[in-house]
Amino acid sequence: MAESGSSVEFSGSLTSSTLPPPRTRIFKIIVIGDSGVGKTCLTYRFCAGKFPEKTEATIGVDFRERLVEIDGEKIKIQLWDTAGQERFRKSMVQHYYRNVHAVVFVYDVTNAASFRSLPAWIEECKQHALGTEVPRILVGNKCDLQDSIQVGTDVAQQFADAHSMPVFETSAKNPSSHGDGSYGSGNSDHVEAIFMTVAHKLKSQKPLVLSQPSGGSGGTISLSSGMNDGGDGARSWGCSSC
Amino acid sequence: MKRLKRKKQNAGVGVNGNGPVTREPDCGRKQKLAEIHQALISDPVDIETLRRAAASRGGLLTDELRRKVWPKLLNINVYDLPHKPGRDVRENHKDYNQVLLDVRRSMKRFPKGMPATERAVLQEQLIDIILEVLKRNPQLHYYQGYHDVAVTLLLVVGERMAIALLDTLSNYHLRDFMDPTMDSTKHILNYLMPILEQVDTELHDFMMRSEVGTIFALSWLITWYGHVLSEFKHTLRLYDFFLASHPLMPIYLAATIVLHREKEVKQTECDMAMVHHLLSRIPQDLPYELLIAQSQDLFNQYPPSLLAKRAALQSRKSLSISTFQAFQLSTLHQRPDSVLQRLTKAQGSTTSRHASRHSGLEAALPRDRGQLWGKGNRIVKMAVWGLSATLGAAVFAVAQTAMDWGPEVLLQLF
Ligand SMILES: Nc1nc2c(ncn2[C@@H]2O[C@H](COP(=O)(O)OP(=O)(O)O)[C@@H](O)[C@H]2O)c(=O)[nH]1
Ligand SMILES: [Mg+2]
Repeated sequence: MAESGSSVEFSGSLTSSTLPPPRTRIFKIIVIGDSGVGKTCLTYRFCAGKFPEKTEATIGVDFRERLVEIDGEKIKIQLWDTAGQERFRKSMVQHYYRNVHAVVFVYDVTNAASFRSLPAWIEECKQHALGTEVPRILVGNKCDLQDSIQVGTDVAQQFADAHSMPVFETSAKNPSSHGDGSYGSGNSDHVEAIFMTVAHKLKSQKPLVLSQPSGGSGGTISLSSGMNDGGDGARSWGCSSC
Repeated sequence: MKRLKRKKQNAGVGVNGNGPVTREPDCGRKQKLAEIHQALISDPVDIETLRRAAASRGGLLTDELRRKVWPKLLNINVYDLPHKPGRDVRENHKDYNQVLLDVRRSMKRFPKGMPATERAVLQEQLIDIILEVLKRNPQLHYYQGYHDVAVTLLLVVGERMAIALLDTLSNYHLRDFMDPTMDSTKHILNYLMPILEQVDTELHDFMMRSEVGTIFALSWLITWYGHVLSEFKHTLRLYDFFLASHPLMPIYLAATIVLHREKEVKQTECDMAMVHHLLSRIPQDLPYELLIAQSQDLFNQYPPSLLAKRAALQSRKSLSISTFQAFQLSTLHQRPDSVLQRLTKAQGSTTSRHASRHSGLEAALPRDRGQLWGKGNRIVKMAVWGLSATLGAAVFAVAQTAMDWGPEVLLQLF
């Protein structure tokens, strides 16, 4: 098993008896970014609902999925968790860029180098013919580590604007806590909200309305301080509407 | 040295963590132990018998034997081992950060009951041995998963012997994975589908239709399954097998595993994600002995040379494959340890005092996992862990264990 307990999130959802009917739509989302930024933790958090106690280096590509319901439609969200080390990207991960519906770029807010790598990742995506028409988002992870932040929200926001994508800051470890204290409304799960945002975007190009994710508590899901709320709504999606 | 010998025997077979798995057919076991022992003291060492023993049922049986046989399989003189890496090994290495990251989060590779402090010491050693080997071989490049191989060696043979084993493995069996890019690795993975095609066309076609690719087997191949097996005893069993086999054997095992799960695969939705998902998760209760025997059969029936005639495999040359024969030849002329010890010592004394750094102790160092931190072995434990940490701790350890190991042995550690 490549990741600790990674079979957990599948128990139930993949056995043939519980296979969703064939008409279930599948949204394929690839998650990329430098090694160690928390891609495995984020995807695990979304699919298994918790922070993995131990993760290990991802070798090649790992796959996680979760069935969600959006506006009454059951949708399978498939997350492709990739290896961060450069040598894997070039000849290995390639295969998995095909047919993806969305891309999640991840950097680590406590690691400036991981932020500086983003242009290379974006370029890489372009090379695989995933242009701006494929929804892309930027996620700054580990914002629970408030004392060691190296990438400020404003810098991230500027970068995201320049590349026409929304940016979210979150923590796979403690997704309902926010350093600045201003978004700690209730127990909404931030990571969940982020992936659900992508799913909503995929389901419809209409202005985003964040519905309550399945199993969520009643409250409104608040998106993060890093959310692109000022950008040109036509270029970068998902923001002006929240 | 005498004392040490005695201790080694005490620590022998029975207490070994992987005893129970292989013990049931006890009659064969006794005979196998005798054969291995005989092969080890033959002059030259009977490498063919050792290879056969490593691949056949139960593998090398105990860690004690692994410490003796693994070096022979790789043509390593345990009386002339590399020094412990110094602090400088971590300076200015391009892969340092990646190695650090991967080792720090590799907790699962260590035995469950191991106290965190001891694991931490081993993790530091792991970083050092990886960087040491990379430093000695500038042509080799670190890949994520290399640390899974290194940790397996470290846990069985200890730091210094692990460096020697890893160095040789990296230059031969793992060589293709250590290029600057992974093109050669992909080339090796490309052997997988042709093997399947030979055995089960229907399964092969199904997988081709699903476009699953071969990445599901990537971590199997480049970590020799160390990354995906949760039971260390299974990993060891496979390492015995692979150390004694052709570098492509892990791919034959991959094919065997896929064939073993043929029904499950065919029942899966013919979709890349579904098939990838199914296959990339190795069932933990695989019948390893059976699968090992089957991969050997597959290998004999459809050897790499036969598969290589296929167009897809012709374009590229594998260093691991092309150097294998020479490597195997080089293992044929090894002297038994008793002779090596004498020879190496004689050689050492003509140079500096320090040159006789090798010690039989190295072979005994990590003793048996599970026993290290077991109750009855406080003093040994202090020595091992103390020695591996800082110089200060090492001195302390000498004081603690001088009575146990005799100063002549301990001094050789520095
Ligand atoms: N504090 C903190 N640590 C995290 C968070 N996400 C991941 N990590 C840690 O960062 C390290 C790398 O995480 P991992 O998911 O394996 O990174 P990947 O290489 O991008 O898949 C692990 O030690 C995680 O425990 C987070 O949100 N907060
Ligand atoms: Mg990962």
